[in-house]
Amino acid sequence: MTATGDTGTAEPVCGEVRTCLLQTSLSLTASAAEELLRLREDERVRLSERPNLHAVSPDVLTGVDCRLPTGSGARVRAIGTVAARAVLTEGRVLQATAYFRAAGAGPEQRQPWGHYLVRPGVLEPFGGLPVRAVADGILAGTRQAGELDLGAVSERLLTAVLRHQLLDQRPPFKSRRTRLRWVALRTRDGQAPSIRRFTLAADGLRTVELRVPEEIAPAAVAGLCEDLALHDWLLTTLVRMVERSRPGSADGYAVVTALRPAVDHLLHLWMPRARVAGALSPLWEVLEREPGFTRQWQTLVQRIRDQLALQAIPLPREALTAR
Amino acid sequence: MTDAVFRETAAEPRTQSVPLAHVSLELGHLYMEDFEAGAGRLREHFALVRPWVDAVRASAAGNGKRPRISTCFLIDDYFTRFSSPAELVPLLLAEADRCGLTVDYLARESGCAVADGVQIAAAVEARLVELPPPGSDGSRPPVSETGWLANGERTPGSAGAEAMAGLTTWSPPNETAARRHSVFADVELWDDRDGRRTWSCPFLAAVWQLARLGLLRYRGEPVLRPRPWPDGGFPHDWDALPPLIQLSPSAAPFAAYRTCSVLPSRFLPVEHAVRVVLSQIQTDPDALRQVAERSAREGVPVPDAIADRASYVFYAGP
Repeated sequence: MTATGDTGTAEPVCGEVRTCLLQTSLSLTASAAEELLRLREDERVRLSERPNLHAVSPDVLTGVDCRLPTGSGARVRAIGTVAARAVLTEGRVLQATAYFRAAGAGPEQRQPWGHYLVRPGVLEPFGGLPVRAVADGILAGTRQAGELDLGAVSERLLTAVLRHQLLDQRPPFKSRRTRLRWVALRTRDGQAPSIRRFTLAADGLRTVELRVPEEIAPAAVAGLCEDLALHDWLLTTLVRMVERSRPGSADGYAVVTALRPAVDHLLHLWMPRARVAGALSPLWEVLEREPGFTRQWQTLVQRIRDQLALQAIPLPREALTAR
Repeated sequence: MTDAVFRETAAEPRTQSVPLAHVSLELGHLYMEDFEAGAGRLREHFALVRPWVDAVRASAAGNGKRPRISTCFLIDDYFTRFSSPAELVPLLLAEADRCGLTVDYLARESGCAVADGVQIAAAVEARLVELPPPGSDGSRPPVSETGWLANGERTPGSAGAEAMAGLTTWSPPNETAARRHSVFADVELWDDRDGRRTWSCPFLAAVWQLARLGLLRYRGEPVLRPRPWPDGGFPHDWDALPPLIQLSPSAAPFAAYRTCSVLPSRFLPVEHAVRVVLSQIQTDPDALRQVAERSAREGVPVPDAIADRASYVFYAGP
């Protein structure tokens, strides 16, 4: 806890969310989404149809007993379970989040496994938790061998869902996966939540550091980060698609072909804060001011519509120049 | 978001709660060979069980209030089929009564595999979260042997040793979190023969414990719920008997904060295996919370770990 003005306290919540296009030609309906995310027969998929179609799988747990990455090089062993869940938005964008809450302190000896299983999604350190060092370690992404691998947990779930027989493995366009790693330190004494950092790194990695009141459940923080990751993925994907369409090039047909999947599959997905917990909703406003996610999205959408409108004009270019 | 105007029930599923007693006391868990041995065996069993039942009642009454205790009995109709309910159940109840014992609830073991059209055992198996040996960093799924569950790390397989060009040094299995020396256990959960899956006795007994602890749910609904069985005859076919019936109308609830089973000591290895299974099941978190809150409110908080809520009396017996 060395950073100046740092109000974060014990029990941080950390996670990694991976976002990708669902590998199938048509978007899934609500009932198909439910079937896709039914990771366990006996547990319901949470399904919401307003203001858009959004399905959340039950949490699956992975047991871990390993060191946590730390920025300071301190060795912190933690035991418990990492929770993972899959989320499908509008039957089109799939996300898998692995997340845990780190207890501020834990027993100096490993407990029977049943002790950890009644605390799903909680990792208990041996002794005290150097909160700042662990937060830095997780965000830095310089994981040493044998340290907790959150990415592997989310990737494994994503891969498992993508292998489902419901999917025809024929995505309507090419896109890349993005990864967003996040740490939420806790605020106390009624301090409002805040977003400290949102970093775009190369190779599709984003990192987010938050301050969130203690009473906000880890799943709600994961929900906010899924929302941020979803919209960041949409922006990233749409930017690439527009780039690839080469607007202004001579081949109008190619531009239409390249941009059409955006209209069919992406443009209706933009809906920041659709399900973000009320208390966390103001964090979006920060990103809307700087860098202005929605502003960039609208500009791109307008650009796509203009391109398509241009191509729809029946007059051939030759006719215009011949006059 | 609890004060929201707009709600979608499918987005916020509820988990139904079940009524709970203080103790679920199992008076026996008998197999068909026990019944085959005749009424004398049953009489002997109940006579041996009786003092321990009194002891359990006395110890549960420790906190001053009158404890809610329900009794149950499990009949194996899963591994072998013998006789019929019409023949056996009245005999069983009469012998219990002769020893001053009342069986409040009667269950069929096959109900722990499938009940009311729900594949309970399969659903519970999908909730297993294997304990991680030290060094598990999440990068690999647990080293599962399909259909088996251990309380630690197994001895590396012989196939692996062959691959290492004749290196056959043996390394011991290792109980995770052992107290210095390992008591390693590897539990068979099921086998598949002739295209049919048969769940093992310890696995079904673990499901039975979860039911008695009020922790079994299927999509939020309790499963293996007792059905009232008004005085009257019993069917001639085991399948015609509901998986769990309530014989005494005024009995305390079937499920309870804690369980106690009075069993002959030959069940000890089975019940050790049950603990191995129970300690690696992730139960429905809402059901878990309901039990924890209510027991705490009554001043009889439950132990954290599920396996620690089950207790046993092993008597030297047949």
